[in-house]
Amino acid sequence: MTKGCLRIAAAMLFGFAALPLWLAPVGAQRISDRAKQIGSKLRCMCGACSMTAGDCSHPGGEFSGPCQAWALPALQQIDGLLTQGKTEQQVIDSFVAQYGPTVYAEPPKSGFSLVAWVMPTAYLVLGTLVVIFVISRWLKKNVSEVPASNASVKAVSPEFLERARKLAEQETEE
Amino acid sequence: MCAVYAVAGGIAAIVTRHPLLIKSARHAGMATCGLIFLATFCLEYLFFTDNFSVAYVASHSNRELSSFYKIAALWSGMEGSLLFWSFLLAIYVLSVLITYRNKNGELMPYVGVVMAGVQAFFLLLNNFVESPFKALAAAGPDGVMSFITRPDGNGLNALLQYPEMVIHPPNLYSGYTGFTIPFAFALGALLARYPGEKWIHLTRKWTMIAWMFQSCGILLGAHWAYAVLGWGGYWGWDPVENASLLPWLTGTAFLHSVMMQEKRGMMKVWNVWLVFTTFLLCIMGTFLTRSGVVQSVHAFAQSNIGAWFVAFMGITLLVCFGAYVKNSDYLKSENHLDSMISRESSFLFNNLLFLVACIAVLSGTLFPVFSEWFTGSRISVGAPYFNRVNIPIGLLILFLTGVGPLLAWRKTSTESLKKNFGWPLLIGVVVGAVAFTFGFREFFSVVCLTLCVFVASTILLEFYRGAKVIRARSGASYPACGIDLTMRNTRRYGGYIIHMGMVFVFIGLAGAAFNRDVQKSMRVGDSMQIGPYTLMLQGGDSKAEQNYTAQRMIVEALRDNKPVMMLFPEKRRFAGNNQENGTMVAIYSTWKEDLYVVFAGMDPETREPVIHAFLNPLVKWIWFGGVVVVFGTIVALLPNRRSVLVLAPSQQPAGVKPLPHAVPSSVALREGHD
Repeated sequence: MTKGCLRIAAAMLFGFAALPLWLAPVGAQRISDRAKQIGSKLRCMCGACSMTAGDCSHPGGEFSGPCQAWALPALQQIDGLLTQGKTEQQVIDSFVAQYGPTVYAEPPKSGFSLVAWVMPTAYLVLGTLVVIFVISRWLKKNVSEVPASNASVKAVSPEFLERARKLAEQETEE
Repeated sequence: MCAVYAVAGGIAAIVTRHPLLIKSARHAGMATCGLIFLATFCLEYLFFTDNFSVAYVASHSNRELSSFYKIAALWSGMEGSLLFWSFLLAIYVLSVLITYRNKNGELMPYVGVVMAGVQAFFLLLNNFVESPFKALAAAGPDGVMSFITRPDGNGLNALLQYPEMVIHPPNLYSGYTGFTIPFAFALGALLARYPGEKWIHLTRKWTMIAWMFQSCGILLGAHWAYAVLGWGGYWGWDPVENASLLPWLTGTAFLHSVMMQEKRGMMKVWNVWLVFTTFLLCIMGTFLTRSGVVQSVHAFAQSNIGAWFVAFMGITLLVCFGAYVKNSDYLKSENHLDSMISRESSFLFNNLLFLVACIAVLSGTLFPVFSEWFTGSRISVGAPYFNRVNIPIGLLILFLTGVGPLLAWRKTSTESLKKNFGWPLLIGVVVGAVAFTFGFREFFSVVCLTLCVFVASTILLEFYRGAKVIRARSGASYPACGIDLTMRNTRRYGGYIIHMGMVFVFIGLAGAAFNRDVQKSMRVGDSMQIGPYTLMLQGGDSKAEQNYTAQRMIVEALRDNKPVMMLFPEKRRFAGNNQENGTMVAIYSTWKEDLYVVFAGMDPETREPVIHAFLNPLVKWIWFGGVVVVFGTIVALLPNRRSVLVLAPSQQPAGVKPLPHAVPSSVALREGHD
C-alpha cells in the first residue's frame, strides 16, 4: 500500500517536473485592458485561428500553430506603443504598415472595404422593398380577382364576411 | 459504372417509358449504393487491421489508436471524407429507392436520375481524383518503384481524438447529403411536370431529417470547439463554420415557405429555387472546406479539388436554370393575399431575413477573396464583423419566431392580435426592464432576453390554450392534455417545441456579452479569483493512456470558501509519428454559468503552470436548446394521432343567426395553425 502510494507520488512528481520539457512555453505577463481592447481590433496572424489578438486564447500553440507566439507579443507591442504615447489609431496603423490590411479584424469603413459594410444593409433594404412590393401586388391582385371570381355566384356582403370570419375564429381557437 | 448506368439508363427509361428499363435503372441505383457500402467497409477494415501499406490508413491512424477512433479516422482526411460523403448519400438514396419503389411511377425515374447524377460526381472524385485506396510505394536502390508497408502510421489528428468528433462530422455530413433528396424531388418534379404539391409532401420528412442532422452537426461542432480547442468560445465565424450555416439558413427558410405552397398554393417558384440554392450551398460548403480558397482553422482535409466542385456547381446551376426556363409555366402560382397582417406576410419576412442572413454570411466569408481580386490585398473579415451584422438579423428572426405562428392565414383581426400577443409582450418587456435594472446593460443582450421571454410566453400560451380545451372535455391533467394536444397535431406542436429550443439557444447566446477571463501563472497552493469562484491549484500529475500521455493540473474550485468541484484541465501528447498535442478543458457547468478552466502551458520565465479561467454565462442553455430542437423535430416527424379536422359540436352563441350556405356548425375546421 505504502509502496503503491510512493510510486504514485513519484510518478506525479516526475510528471510535474517533466512538464516544462515538452510543453510549449506560454506567457502570463500582465497585459493592460487598453492593449486588449486595441488588440480586439486586430486579427491574430498566427494562421491557425480566426480570432482577434485581444481575444486569442490559444494555449501556447497546442492547436495547429504558435498562436500566442503572435497574439501575445502583439499585445506586448501594443502596450509598448501606448507607453510611448501613441494613440489607438497610430498603434493600429503601425500594425497595418507591418502586415497590410489583412491585420484588421473587421474591414475598415473606408475604400473598397466599405462595400462589406454596405452590402448587408443593402440586402435588407432591397429585400424588404421587394417583399413589400410583392405583398402589395398580391393584395391588389386579390382585390381585382374577387369580383371576377364571384361574378357567377351570389354577392356576399362585407358584414356577412366579417361575421363568418368571427365565427370561424371562435370555432377554431377555443 | 453502376452510377453512370443509373443516369444513362434512367434517361433512356424516361424517354422510352419502357417498364423494364425503368426497373433496370432503379436496380442500378441500388447496386451503386451497395458498392459504395462495400468500399466504405473495406476502408474501415484496412483501418482496423492496421494496414499501413495503404497511404490513407498510414496517414490517419496508428497501432495504438483505439477502435472507437479508427471509425472516425475514415473521415479525418480528404479522401476518406469524400468516400464517407458518398456512403451517407448512398444510405439516403437507397432508402428513397426502396421506399418509393412501387409508388409515384411518373416521378421516380426523374428523381433516380438526379440522385444518381450527384452520386456519379462524388464517385468520380472517389475513384479518379482523391482515392482513399492508394498504396504506398517507394523507389528502390535500382530506381524501381515497389510497394511498401510502414511499421506504424502517423496517427489521427489530435483535435479529432475526442468523442464528439466521432459524431459531429457524421451529423453534419448527413445534413449536407440529406438535402440532395429534396433537391432531387424538386428538380425531378420540375422536369417531369409532376402535378400538384405531391413532391412537397413526399420530401417534407426528408428535408426535416436533413435539417435535424444539420442543426445537430452545427451544435456538436460548436460544443467540440468549446470543449476541445480551449479558446473559450463555441462559434468563431470561421469560413467552414459559416459554410455549414449557409444551407441550414436556406433549408430553414424552405421548411417555412413550403407551408405557403401546401396551404395556399403560393410561392412555387420560390420554393423550388430555395431547394436548389440549399443543395448548391451544401456543395459550396464542401468546396470551401476542401479547396482552401478561404483561410480556415479546419485544415484537416484540403487539396486542389476546388475546380471539380466549381464545375459541378456550374453544371448543376445550368441544369436547374434550364429546367426552370423550359417548365416555368408548371410553377404558376395563384399568389394573392387578403391582408398585410397575416401568416403569409410573416413567412415572406421570415424568408427574407433568413436569406439576408445567408447572403451576408456568404459575402462576408468570400469578401477576403473578392478584395484580393479587386484591390490586390486580402482584407480580413473576422468575428466582430459577423457579430455586428448578424446579431440584429438574428433578433428579428427571433421576433418573427414569436409572432409568425400566431398570425392566422389570410387575415388576422386586431382582437386576435391583442389576445395572442398582449400578455407575452407585457411579460417580455417587464422581464427586460427587470434585467436592465439588475445590471444587464448590454443592449443586444437585453433585447435578446426580452424577445426570448416574449417568444417563450407565446408558445406556452398556445400549449396552455390547446390543453385547456382538451382538459374541458377529458378532465385529464394539463401535462397529459399537452401531450395529447401535441400528438394530435405533431407538425404544429413539434414546430413549437423547435421554436422553444431556439429560444433556449438564443438565451445562451445572450450570455456571451458577459464572458470574463483571467490568466495566471500559479504555484501549488496559489489561488485566483474569477467571479464568485476561487480557483486553487492543488497540484499536477501525469497519466499514460493507450494512445496519449496526459499532463494534468488539479484545480479546486471553491465558491464562498466551500469546495464545489475538483477540475482536471489537461494537455495530451498523442502517440504516432506526428506527436501532436491536444487540450482537454475542465468545465464546471451550471444553468447560470460555466466555469471553464484551461491548462494553458508553462510560463517561460517562472516555469510555473499557467491556468486560464473563463466565466461564460448561460452557455448550458445552448446545448439544452439543441437537444430540445432535435426532440421537437422528432415529434414533428411523427404521424398525427388523429385527423386535424376535428368533428365536434361547437357552441353557437345565443342571438346569432346561422349562416346560410356556410360550413355545417358541427364541423370546426382547424385550418391556419400548422
